[in-house]
Amino acid sequence: MTAIALLLTIIIPLFSGVGMFIFPQKMRRVKEALLILSSLAGLCLSVFLFKQDFTFNLPWIGPGLGLSFRMYNFSAFMLLSTGFFGFLIASYSVVFMQGKKFVSQFYGYFLLCLGFSNGVFLADNLLAMLFFWEGFLVLIFGMIAVGNKDAFKTATKAFIIVGITDLCLMAGIALTAHLSGTMVISSINLPLNNTLANLAFILLMVGAISKGGAMPFHSWIPDAAIDAPLPFMSLIPAALEKLLGIYFLTRIALDLFQFTAHSALSTLLMVVGALTIILAVMMALVQKDYKRLLSYHAISQVGYMILGIGTALPVGIVGGIFHMINNALYKSGLFLTAGSVEKQTGTTNLEKLGGLGRKMPVTFGCFLITAFAISGVWPFNGFFSKELVYDAAIERGWIFYLAAVLGSFFTAASFLKLGHAAFLGKLGSENTKTKEAHWSMLFPMAVIAIVCVVFGVFNQLPLNHLIQPVLAGKLAGHNFSGFPASMKLVVITCVVLFLALVNHILGVRAKGSGLHALDHIRYAPGLAKIYDLAEKRFFDPYNWGLGLVGIISRISLGIDRGINWLSDGLTVRLAYGFSSGIRKMHTGNYSVYLAWSLVGMLVIFGFLVIF
Amino acid sequence: MGYANLVIGAIFIPVIGAFCLPLAARASNRLRNLLSFAFIASSFILSLKLIPLVLSGQTILITKQFALGLNFTLLADSLAVFMACVSSLISALIVLYSFGYISHYENQNEYYFMVTLFLGAMIGLIFSANLILLYIFWEITAITSWRLIGFFRDKPYVLKADKAFLVTVFGSLVMLVGFLAIYQQAGSFDLPVIREAFKTQLISNLTVILILAGIFSKSATLPFHTWLPDAGVAPSPVTALLHAAVLVKIGVYVFARIFIVNITPDVLWHTVVPLAAGLSAIVSAGAALLETDLKRIIAYSTISQIGFIFFGLAIGNGVAILGALLYILMHGLAKAGLFLCAGIVEQNAKVKDITKLGGLISTMPVTAVSFLFCSFSIMGVPPFGGFFSKFLVFNGALASERLWVVLIFLIAAFMTIIYLFRVFNLVFLGKANIQAKESSPIMVATVATLAGLSLVAGILIYYPYKFAQIATWQMLGAIK
Repeated sequence: MTAIALLLTIIIPLFSGVGMFIFPQKMRRVKEALLILSSLAGLCLSVFLFKQDFTFNLPWIGPGLGLSFRMYNFSAFMLLSTGFFGFLIASYSVVFMQGKKFVSQFYGYFLLCLGFSNGVFLADNLLAMLFFWEGFLVLIFGMIAVGNKDAFKTATKAFIIVGITDLCLMAGIALTAHLSGTMVISSINLPLNNTLANLAFILLMVGAISKGGAMPFHSWIPDAAIDAPLPFMSLIPAALEKLLGIYFLTRIALDLFQFTAHSALSTLLMVVGALTIILAVMMALVQKDYKRLLSYHAISQVGYMILGIGTALPVGIVGGIFHMINNALYKSGLFLTAGSVEKQTGTTNLEKLGGLGRKMPVTFGCFLITAFAISGVWPFNGFFSKELVYDAAIERGWIFYLAAVLGSFFTAASFLKLGHAAFLGKLGSENTKTKEAHWSMLFPMAVIAIVCVVFGVFNQLPLNHLIQPVLAGKLAGHNFSGFPASMKLVVITCVVLFLALVNHILGVRAKGSGLHALDHIRYAPGLAKIYDLAEKRFFDPYNWGLGLVGIISRISLGIDRGINWLSDGLTVRLAYGFSSGIRKMHTGNYSVYLAWSLVGMLVIFGFLVIF
Repeated sequence: MGYANLVIGAIFIPVIGAFCLPLAARASNRLRNLLSFAFIASSFILSLKLIPLVLSGQTILITKQFALGLNFTLLADSLAVFMACVSSLISALIVLYSFGYISHYENQNEYYFMVTLFLGAMIGLIFSANLILLYIFWEITAITSWRLIGFFRDKPYVLKADKAFLVTVFGSLVMLVGFLAIYQQAGSFDLPVIREAFKTQLISNLTVILILAGIFSKSATLPFHTWLPDAGVAPSPVTALLHAAVLVKIGVYVFARIFIVNITPDVLWHTVVPLAAGLSAIVSAGAALLETDLKRIIAYSTISQIGFIFFGLAIGNGVAILGALLYILMHGLAKAGLFLCAGIVEQNAKVKDITKLGGLISTMPVTAVSFLFCSFSIMGVPPFGGFFSKFLVFNGALASERLWVVLIFLIAAFMTIIYLFRVFNLVFLGKANIQAKESSPIMVATVATLAGLSLVAGILIYYPYKFAQIATWQMLGAIK
């Protein structure tokens, strides 16, 4: 029975997803019902399967390459989260997507995404996991491509970036399977004591953090924020991709390899995490679009998770996972608020927004809660997970802690700016008739906001029941729930948040508007040039990569043309030259022919004499 | 005896049938077309019927002795039957497509004659177990492909056809010298005898080089590859048949047949061949990124993907060989699909320059989606079939721990994604510059079938995997 339920978590979304493409266009209501019912079914099944522990094998390809699934506490947690976000965002999409083009395609991809990610979370075989993981690629492409007019360019960019890192993951999986001699995830535990194992770790890590959206594999996300349909942003970059990437990163660090603190790999991960936090949040500061600003935070926050897990300390890993689920909550909540603003006002450009707080009080309330949570304000959930990550970071080096705290300062600053610019201040003249969004869009936002509070105030609930069981034997008796252990760090956090508030007030005084409150950072001496270049996409690693590929291509084409010249040019010319040379010898003159004969005879004679 | 007849039938129904086609055309063109399809399809069905036998581990050997070692020897093992099924299936689909495509042009008799003869020769080559017999069939494919590439009679086209012929025949003559060297050592052209002989002696590296020259020129691998993009002037079904599905796989197949099944070359070649293939894969992928002619791009892509197949075969462990065999199937299906889609675009938009095309997805949605599916399969994205073959090749290569070669192919795989997307975006997305409609239903149905097969082959990977696995076991077992 449980085995069937487990299969259904994958099969139901897959079949109803395919159904979306098959059913005729006119059956809109049926499709909407199907979307909601199948995502609800996913949620119910994950609740039913919660706390179960078993493995289950299906013959698929051949020996050692079966579809084997393993249900245990981490998978159950991930399944539950997928079901939760899937259902809420599905019910949001039904209203949001009304009147848009390609709606049924979008629903189809949506459901397939749920099925594939459940597949990743349950797979206990590396090949099966890779199958579901990479299958995501096509879905992401489809989901972005059904967005606005130029969305396909962004879809291509996303596909190329994620596709290339997925190939790295594929190579990493092949190498891991070779080193351990098996594809069964639960029986792999490799020591990191040789080059190949380290290489395998790095390749897998590239796949995992790229899915999570960390730098330098991030640059499609801000573009998708503008081009893709909004529920996509809320479901994929904000929630599912973080769950997938961080889930797998945790599995790599905890299960697949014997990953320890103070190893070079641990430092590498922490550096990637710290850089992602700082660089992405610096970009978020200067955005003038609601969705684009959020998307940079979606990148920046993943840095905290990678930093936490990279420490390889129990407190860091617990903090990283906790931050993952917290971020999925408040980030998808924030995107949903952006969606209702977009739906009601027709724009997310902050220059045109303002004063919406009075017109859309529920949306504003949800925004406030989720913004407090992301900024790490007590007692919301983000506060607790960030403190855990700080705790781990400071143990590994003050520089990492500094990066994390600085990231918090800028996060708080940019949310002050965003909230001020969108919801406070003067109401724009176009928006005087704006109304609150439809209740079925408010409901998911409100649920998410409530969970943000619950996970903060009662943080024992997620920590003791969902997260700490994942580390089972590695906790060494610690329990990280309740109020943070280090009072010193909490005080520093409070000071930093206070400074962000002061910074905002001073900025508003200087420029006279919330939107421009951070202009003193944007145009600070030294930074201004860098920001100018960044806005021209000078720092986009994707462009650099394409440039490199362009160089390789040019060299390749040179080689190709060179070889072609050998066969088409040189050979032909040699043949012509040879025959025209011979032709010139045939003058028709007797004496010349006689001379040739004589020379020939001499050669033969000489040959005979010598040999 | 029953099974032996199947093998003979699979070869000679299309070979002899081909000569009847011009006669049939006197009755009606329709009859000729249908007969051509029927001959090729029957070859496919007969090959399919051999599957149960080879899956049970048996093989069929047919021998008729002649003077000078020029024996008529046929061997049907699981490798041969696998190849025969793949080639004839794809050829049959391509002929179906030709019903629509070729109907606009002259010289249709010649076309169907050559295509049918070509497939017959291909099947003959696959089942040959005598090097001279293999050489004869090899040259028949060269001659037919020469006529097929030069199907349009304009001077530049004919020159390109001559080039293809000259390069491949140059290679095969060099290979013939290599065969003679093998004869010197083994005293026979029959592969079973050769296998016994080479259990006790080694093959000289010079002989390997001579044979590789033939193989590389036929399979369009660097430095003998430039004829393949040039041959893109041929009608699209021909390019699909020659470049994607069948002709270029000859070299790969003969490599497997000679150097994996029968003779073990020096260990050195486990490194040299992958390196050559890797260079080929990168250079042609790079060229594909800068090229603007639709069919030339796909042709470069073929060269690049053939590199992956050589890579898998030359690495030589079971997993990599298995991957390479699946690669032959998956690449054949997907690449034929791409060429045929290109044919639809070219015939309806009258333009081959991708920078002038755009936005065709709105007017030809089926073709566009088929193109995308086939591209996904070639990129190696699940759930499409290409995913498994690519994964297995890399898996086998990493198991042999040749990291540098793996890195080269990884870069080639990155570039595959980029150039295929470039083509798709420029042709099907963006602003529509040229209006074009879908082609005849039969052509569109064929490309949709190929795209569907690429997907189904991935989802039902169990069956091709099982087959390829048994073929691999048999191939490797034969060495020991």
